[in-house]
Amino acid sequence: MELTARYTDGLVADVRDVICRLEPEGTGQAIVITDLQSRDELDRWNAADVFPLHARRHELRIGVSGKPYGARLSFNGFEPARDATAALPALAVKHRQDRGKQYRLVGLATAALASVVAAYVVGVPLLAGSITDAMPPQWEEGLGQTVVAQVEQALKPEAGFEVCDTDPNSLANRAIARFAAEVVAGTGTPFKPDIQVIRTKIPNAFALPGGHSFYFSALLDKTESADEFAGVMAHELGHVVHRHGMEQLISTSATGLLIGFILGDMTGMSVAGGLGAALIDTRFSRDAEREADRFSSDAAKRMGFDARALMTLLERVDKDDGMSRAFALLSTHPLTAERKAELERLAAPDPNATPPFTPEEWQAIKSMCGAPANTPIAPVGPDKMNRNR
Amino acid sequence: MTVTESDGRIARVEFSGARSELFGILTRGYLLMVPTLGIYRFWQTTWKRRFYWQNTVIDGDPLEYTGNALQLLVGFLFALAFFLPVYIAFFYLSTQAGEIALIGYGVIGVIIWFLLGYALYRARDFRLSRTLWRGIRFNQHGNAWVYALRRFLWSLAMVVTLGLIFPAMCADLWRYRTNNSWYGDRQFRWTGTWKTIAGPYYRMYAVLAVLAAGIVALVATRAGGADTDTLGPVLTIAIIGFILVAGLAWFYWRSREATRMFSEVWVGNARATVKVRARALFGQFALYLLALIGVSILLSAVAGVFMTGTLTQLAALPAEPTDEQFAALFGSSWTTIALLIGGYLIGLAAFALVGEVFLGLGYWMLVARGATISDADSLRGVRATAEDRSLVGEGLADALNVGAY
Repeated sequence: MELTARYTDGLVADVRDVICRLEPEGTGQAIVITDLQSRDELDRWNAADVFPLHARRHELRIGVSGKPYGARLSFNGFEPARDATAALPALAVKHRQDRGKQYRLVGLATAALASVVAAYVVGVPLLAGSITDAMPPQWEEGLGQTVVAQVEQALKPEAGFEVCDTDPNSLANRAIARFAAEVVAGTGTPFKPDIQVIRTKIPNAFALPGGHSFYFSALLDKTESADEFAGVMAHELGHVVHRHGMEQLISTSATGLLIGFILGDMTGMSVAGGLGAALIDTRFSRDAEREADRFSSDAAKRMGFDARALMTLLERVDKDDGMSRAFALLSTHPLTAERKAELERLAAPDPNATPPFTPEEWQAIKSMCGAPANTPIAPVGPDKMNRNR
Repeated sequence: MTVTESDGRIARVEFSGARSELFGILTRGYLLMVPTLGIYRFWQTTWKRRFYWQNTVIDGDPLEYTGNALQLLVGFLFALAFFLPVYIAFFYLSTQAGEIALIGYGVIGVIIWFLLGYALYRARDFRLSRTLWRGIRFNQHGNAWVYALRRFLWSLAMVVTLGLIFPAMCADLWRYRTNNSWYGDRQFRWTGTWKTIAGPYYRMYAVLAVLAAGIVALVATRAGGADTDTLGPVLTIAIIGFILVAGLAWFYWRSREATRMFSEVWVGNARATVKVRARALFGQFALYLLALIGVSILLSAVAGVFMTGTLTQLAALPAEPTDEQFAALFGSSWTTIALLIGGYLIGLAAFALVGEVFLGLGYWMLVARGATISDADSLRGVRATAEDRSLVGEGLADALNVGAY
C-alpha cells in the first residue's frame, strides 16, 4: 500500500510531498519515504518507533524516535489519515500510553493538591496558634492601635463614637478595670486589658488585638444585669488572652495562599478566592468564639457570676432564623442555640465566690452613658463586627 | 506599507479552526477543573494552544505546538517560590498602619510590575521554543531581565510624558522581542521605527485629549455658573460619549497596530504583511457582545428556575411559618454554600469562555487570515539548530496570569 504525505526531515525547512510504503525490515517493518516526483528514497523509518502527534481534523501527524526532533510525516485528508493509522499499529499503542500517562499525571497532581488542602485544613489552626505565640506582643499592640483608629473612623459619622466616661478614676471605670484585671489574672497574657464604654447606636461589644475592648452603649442599654455585662466582657477578654485577632490574621493569609494555589491566581484578587477564603476562615472564627465562650464560663466559675447570663443577653439581641441557619457555614459565630447548649453544659458557678460587681458599681456602669437616649438602628448581636479586619 | 520585494512567491496564511471546536476544548477543560481542584487548567491551556497552533496554516503547513502540561505545572511550582515571600510581606503589611503600609504596598506593586516584564518575555520564549513549522523550531534569545528593565524604564517614561512617548516604547520593545526571535538558524528582524505607529497613536491621543479637556472645561464653567443642577446629567452624557469614542478609537488603534507592527517583521528575506481592518475587529467585538448577552440571559434563566422553585415553596408556606419550615427551604447550610459557589464558578467560566471564543480567537483569526508572506521560498533553506536549553514552564507568567494565548 502506498500513501502520499508531507515530509520534513527535521534538519531543513524544506517540506516535500512524498510516497510512503511499508517494507519488511529485520524482524519488523520500515516506512520507506520516497520523493513523489523523482521517486528517490529520502528516508526510512522504523514502523515500530513512530508516535502520533496532535493535529487538526483530518490530518494524521507522526514523528519517530531515533531521528531528528522535527522529523515529521503528515497525512492529509480523512482517508489517508485513516489508512495510515490502520497500517501503523504502533500509533494506537503509543496514543494509549500517552493518554494513560496524562491521566496518571492529572491524578497524581490532584492527589498532591488534595493532600495540601487537607493538611491545611487540619494544620493551620494548630500552626496559627504556635505562630501567634511567636509573634511579639508589641506588634500585636501596634496592630490593635491601627484597628482602633479604623473603627473610630468607620463609626463616627453614622453611629457616633465617643468615650462615655473619660475619668479613669470614676466608680464605673475603676470597677471595670478591676474586673478585667481579675479575669485575666493568672492567664499569663502579655496584654494589659483596656475596656472602654463607647456611646454609639450599634449594639455590640468586641475585643481588638493587643487588649483594647469596647462595650457599646446601645448594648449596655439592653444589658439587664451585672452578670450579663460580666459574661460579655469575659468573653471578649477571652479573645484578647487567646490572641484570636492575630491568629485569624495568620489563618486568613494562609487561606489566601491556598485559594490562590487552587485557582492559579496568585495575585489573589479574584472573588472566588474571597468566597472560598471566607468559608474556611469563618470556621476558625467560630472555633475562636467557642474558645472565648469557654474562657468566659471559666471566669464565671472562678468569680461567681452566672455564665448563662451571656446567652440571655445574646438571645435578647440576636435570634436565629432560617436564614442564619442556611448560611451558618458563612457565619463568623456559632448559632445562638448551639452556644447556649454548650454554655449550659459548662456553667456551674462557685456559690462561695463574691459577685464581680457591687450593686452600686453596676448602677454606675449602667448609667455611664447617661439615660438610654438612642434607639438601636439594627439588632446586631454582640461581637458581630469583625475584631480585626 | 508597500512591499518592496517584487521577486519571490507570496504565501498565504490560513486559519482552519472552528469556534465550536475551541468551545468544546474550553468546556471540557472547565468541567474537568472541578474534580481536579483546578489542576486541569495546565492541560486546558495545552489543548487550547494545540488548537490555535495546529489550525494556523502557513503556506500549506500548520504550526505545531510541542509543549506539554507537565512543563506548565512545574513552571507554576517554581513561580510559587517567588510568591511565598511576597505573601509573607503582604501579611506583615496587613498588620502595619499608615505610611509603612502604603510604602510597602507601593514597593511590592513596583516589584511585581517589573517582574511582569520578565514573565512576559519568558512566556514568549517558552511558546516560541515549543513551536515547530516544517519540522524546524522557533526560538528566542536575549535576556529576560534586560527586557524587564527596558520595559520598566519605558513605563516610567510613559508616566512622566503622560503617554506621549508610547510609540517609541512600543517600537523599542517590538524590536527587542523580534530581533531576538529565531526560526531555526535564521534571525527575525523588525524594521519599524517609532514612526511606524506614531500616526494612529497620536490621532487617537489627540481626539481623546480634546474630548477630556472639553469635559474638564465643561465642569469648570458650569461649576462656577449658576445652573449647577443641570451639571449632573450633562456630565453623565459627556462621560458616556467619551467612553464610546474611546472604545471606537481602541478598535482603530488595535487594527492599525496589528497591521503596521506585524508588517515590519522579517525572517531573512521573507517578510510578513498583515492587514487587519478596524471594522472587522469591531465585528468580532459585536459578536462577543451578542454572545455575552446570550450567556447572561441563559444564566439568569437557570438562576431564575432555581429561584422560582424556592419562591413557590415560600408561597406554599403557612402564614406564620415556624423556623424549621423556613429553614427547610434552604436545605442544609452545605447545599446553600455549594449552590452559591457553584453558581459563581459557572458564571466565571461562562464569561471567560465567551471572551476566549469570540475576542481571543477572533483577533487571532483576523491577524492570521490577514497575513501573507513575501518570498516564502527563501525559508526553505532554514536549518535546525541544536536543542534549546530546557525552559521550565512559563513560571511567573502562569502565576501572574499573563499571556493571552
